[in-house]
Amino acid sequence: MTHHEETFPINVWINEERFAKLQAVKLGDLTQEVFAGLKVLRVPCTAEQRDKVLAVFPTAKFDSATTKSVEQLPRDVKDKIFDLVVEKASVDIMEEFLAGY
Amino acid sequence: MSLIGHGGKEIVERVMDPQEAVDKIRSLTQIPIRNQIAREVIMLSYGFFTPLEGFMTKADVDGVVESMRLASGVVWSIPIVFDMSSEEIAAKGIKEGDTLLLMSQNQPLATLDVEEIFEYDLKNMAAKIYGTDDEKHPGCARTYRYAGRFIGGKVTLVNPPRMNEPYDAFFLTPRQMRAKIAEKGWERCVAHQTRNVPHSGHEWLMKHSWIACHADQPVEKTTTGVVVSAVMGEKRKGDYIDEAIVLTHDALRKYGYFREDVHLTSIIMWDMRYAGPKEAIFHAIVRTNLGITHHMFGRDHAGVGSYYDPYDAHRIFDTISKDDLRITPIRVLEWWFCPVCGEVTYMGLCGHTKERQNFSGTVVRSIIQDGVKPPRIIFRPEVFDIILETAGKYGFGSAYVNDQYLAQRQPLFTVPPLEL
Repeated sequence: MTHHEETFPINVWINEERFAKLQAVKLGDLTQEVFAGLKVLRVPCTAEQRDKVLAVFPTAKFDSATTKSVEQLPRDVKDKIFDLVVEKASVDIMEEFLAGY
Repeated sequence: MSLIGHGGKEIVERVMDPQEAVDKIRSLTQIPIRNQIAREVIMLSYGFFTPLEGFMTKADVDGVVESMRLASGVVWSIPIVFDMSSEEIAAKGIKEGDTLLLMSQNQPLATLDVEEIFEYDLKNMAAKIYGTDDEKHPGCARTYRYAGRFIGGKVTLVNPPRMNEPYDAFFLTPRQMRAKIAEKGWERCVAHQTRNVPHSGHEWLMKHSWIACHADQPVEKTTTGVVVSAVMGEKRKGDYIDEAIVLTHDALRKYGYFREDVHLTSIIMWDMRYAGPKEAIFHAIVRTNLGITHHMFGRDHAGVGSYYDPYDAHRIFDTISKDDLRITPIRVLEWWFCPVCGEVTYMGLCGHTKERQNFSGTVVRSIIQDGVKPPRIIFRPEVFDIILETAGKYGFGSAYVNDQYLAQRQPLFTVPPLEL
């Protein structure tokens, strides 16, 4: 996926511990500080991937009004997404992540 | 200790001893009631809704709908009504002059004296109370769900419920609250109405209102308090679980963010109508009856969607004489985090409007769901830990209401067995 096309990101919150892991794989610069120093990593999804996420995880919702992101994913799912980002040293991991579902 | 409540009427508890009540209620017609009505019966019986002694008759509903006053002329903003279908009234042969036995959790809870049976134009009621008759408005939707008839009359609790853990530590009747306020030596106190777990923005709303409430009082001795008054009622999916709300607010005192002698967490039982300004008046009335002298109103108090301007709930107090409400509203704008100031600060003071970072409910929810502890300047670590702890202990793994919580949660109260 190129980063020029529209994406429907999953916001992963980044505290100091997670930030250190991202820096170790040189992804620290991809985080954005959004709230009192708390950072967020936006993991991009295509429209197709977003729809699959919403289908596989029924609690999830796409917030089209405010954050324009996929919200309310279970914590363990977000943890797995973060771990895969670190493992692959890339945020373009959703295709691989969803292949398991 | 004064016991004078809203409308200048004394707080009177309409509660009978269950064993004394048994003989009087044994032969009464039994009417099962839904949880919302049970909660309102309990509130009425303990005087939270003073001067009401029961469900409204038509004259009171007319007054509330048309002019925001009871038939007696006392300010009142939300109808408190008992609905029943005409079919059920006919099937049970209910008529004016009867006394009914209201059953909750399959046990006797209270009696209802049938003073009047009447019909009402629900669309007019909704339009006048909510300022809209849109069925998508949750208050209108609740109104349209009422059965076709209303029964007005006094209620008397005959089998007081037992509050369940952890609510038992936080439920205070108006008389108990007034005794607690006297015990603490508070000459003034301010109510903080909530259905949220507190982030620092909420904490500052409370601190702001405490300072405004304290005003010209001497500073050597604590004479002012904050009363967190959490609203417990019907839950919707995605709300914070009730246990998290009360225990996190209490944590602000427990961990010293508020001094022991200035802070008290409590609960009331009420199903939100989302009536915005009208509900603000109602909340002021209930807290008046609790003996609270001031009430904080923030942005979009009791609002929903875009039905009300964010500060309608402030302006409505301009239309009411101070003699009509025995509580002083404290009007507050927003608190936000400012990266330039490097602190949580107030919209009415901070000039960095463009740089501000709002306490967005969506963002806070997302942070909590990820379980990633935020900086303490926006979320106290002990509060965050208790959210996660209550999610595990009471919320089936979630701090937010889900289907499992709705089906299996521990109720707020238990109506004890009472053999008839």
